[in-house]
Amino acid sequence: MSLLSKAREAIICLKAGKVTLPYPAQPHAPAPNFRGRPIFDAAKCIGCAGCANNCPAREILIFDPCQEIRVLHYLGRRCTYCGRCADVCPEKAITMSQDFETATDKIGDLSQHLELFMSTCQRCGRCFKESSPLEQLKLKGYRCDDLEHEHVIFRSQSYLKDAPVVDDINIELD
Amino acid sequence: MAGNILWLLLKCFANVAVMLAVAPLCEGVIRKMTARIQSRQGPPVLQPYMDLLKLLGKEDIESGESPVVQRVAAYLALSMAMLVACMVPMGFASPMSNVADCLVLVYLLTMCGICTLVAGLAAGSTYSLIGISREMMTMITLEPLLAIALVIGSMHTQSFRLNAVLDGSVYTIGGFPWSGLVILLVMIFAFQAFIQRLPFDIAESETEIMEGPLMEYSGPKLAMFKYAQMCRLVILAALFIALFVPFGSRLMFPLGWLIFWAKVLVLILAVTLVAATHARYRIDQAVRYFAALIVVAFVALVLASYGF
Amino acid sequence: MFKSLCQKMFGRSLWVYHANSGGCNGCDIEVLNVLTPYYDAERFGIKLVGSPRHADVMLCQGPALRATAQALRRAYDAMPAPKLVFAIGSCACGGGIWHDTYAVLGPVEKVVPVNFYIPGCPPRPEAIIYGVAVAVGLVDKKVAPVTFKQLELPIPRYHPSDLHGQDELVVYEKSETL
Repeated sequence: MSLLSKAREAIICLKAGKVTLPYPAQPHAPAPNFRGRPIFDAAKCIGCAGCANNCPAREILIFDPCQEIRVLHYLGRRCTYCGRCADVCPEKAITMSQDFETATDKIGDLSQHLELFMSTCQRCGRCFKESSPLEQLKLKGYRCDDLEHEHVIFRSQSYLKDAPVVDDINIELD
Repeated sequence: MAGNILWLLLKCFANVAVMLAVAPLCEGVIRKMTARIQSRQGPPVLQPYMDLLKLLGKEDIESGESPVVQRVAAYLALSMAMLVACMVPMGFASPMSNVADCLVLVYLLTMCGICTLVAGLAAGSTYSLIGISREMMTMITLEPLLAIALVIGSMHTQSFRLNAVLDGSVYTIGGFPWSGLVILLVMIFAFQAFIQRLPFDIAESETEIMEGPLMEYSGPKLAMFKYAQMCRLVILAALFIALFVPFGSRLMFPLGWLIFWAKVLVLILAVTLVAATHARYRIDQAVRYFAALIVVAFVALVLASYGF
Repeated sequence: MFKSLCQKMFGRSLWVYHANSGGCNGCDIEVLNVLTPYYDAERFGIKLVGSPRHADVMLCQGPALRATAQALRRAYDAMPAPKLVFAIGSCACGGGIWHDTYAVLGPVEKVVPVNFYIPGCPPRPEAIIYGVAVAVGLVDKKVAPVTFKQLELPIPRYHPSDLHGQDELVVYEKSETL
């Protein structure tokens, strides 16, 4: 009895034929709402750093080498493809593509690096200073995330050369 | 005299060479058939050859409690398989039939199983010890079945010679071969366990005890063990066919040989069908199953001794 | 010659050991999906084995936790050469969302050297198969770093260190032209 039912199982599966997708040989498009890799469009980006402030994995780093240039570095390593950056961007400069074929042997291959020109005030070139201290607290000022160690630094008024990097936790590996 | 020995060695060598060449192909057929039954594409049929070659090219890490015993176990496994291949008829008559008898066959086959036990003991880790205790329980209840089949055959033909016994001897009595049919039924139910496939691959249950006795093997020694397992499949299939379905093996060279390999293929397909549709038995369920089979085999032995 | 044959066979028969060092199991399930009939991985010769000593490739998922880093390292050391390590999922590639929490040491490459990265959260089974195909050499990889520069330096810039004076009167010392 049980042998017969097993034989019937085997016949059912054999009748289904071969259900394997011939994947690497033929492309297989994902479903229409699929969120793949985000693509940054530098022509539309205004450098507001909204995406960097909202990324849950702190994947987008902002660095200001001087007053006029803002460097936006998308690492690509720990991106969870949540799409928050695309939702928040006011200029719709970030699109979540349908690209999932992102395997690589060097993790730096996934990075996108944008250097944007932030125009200055033509009169004296200094940043605006707000009238009251409360308004001054709301200013973000320079961003100086640590591009080399891939850390976001949560200080808003630090200047560049003298800003110490946040101390790493000292973890022992025995 | 020297010519005789040379002829003997040549026949043994031919048997061993054919077995070594065909054993991975049989394993490949099993894997491909299993994949097709599961509705997927499956590996190419020559995949086990590639597996063995890759394993031979890997580094050999000697770990476990006693590396010397590990080495001995690995070499012993493959050499026992090759030795038994010399004694088993594969389309021709058995090469060593006038220098060995079927008791030696039983001992050497048990030795193959003992190699796994030694391997597990040499590794010494908890998983290996659990694996070999299960393998021991299986062996204790399973090897007697093959011995009983051979003894029934020799009782009927009144001789222990390999040529006489391994030639459908369980059926060769005057009247209706009751004992032959009973022992045939027993062996059909136990065959899956002899070659250690699902539902009876208890000793090397992968996900449960991390491959049991073979856990600490890597590289070339693992290749030898895997090869020995593949050869066991071919040897036991040949034994089963020689004992129970020898019809047509006595024809002339090309036809008899081809019929033998066709029978092996049919047996392998039957094995695959059972293996692909069953889940693994627990050790206590398996021991109960084998105990029932041993009782029936003893009944067959009693029948044979009374001449039925 | 025999050795070169064995080395050529390495890419055709990869035995995989699956090591999850603290992930959420999302990538585990995707790896399991790869072994099902729909995305069959066995057609490339890939087999899941239970012991690192039998394996060629270690699939790492989840970030390297403080608690499991030693176990991961030992599993890596137990594998016989030649060996590969694939880091699957954002947690293994770069630490994931948890990269700076108290329990996480970082990405898996802080503990074992990684050969291939398959990012995603979790990566689709096709992405995992694509990663394996890139590793074996069947297809080429498709990503490359992108850099975009809107303007080249030097441009006139008013650097804080060039601004002198205090309080009301601030004078800009240098002036550069484009």
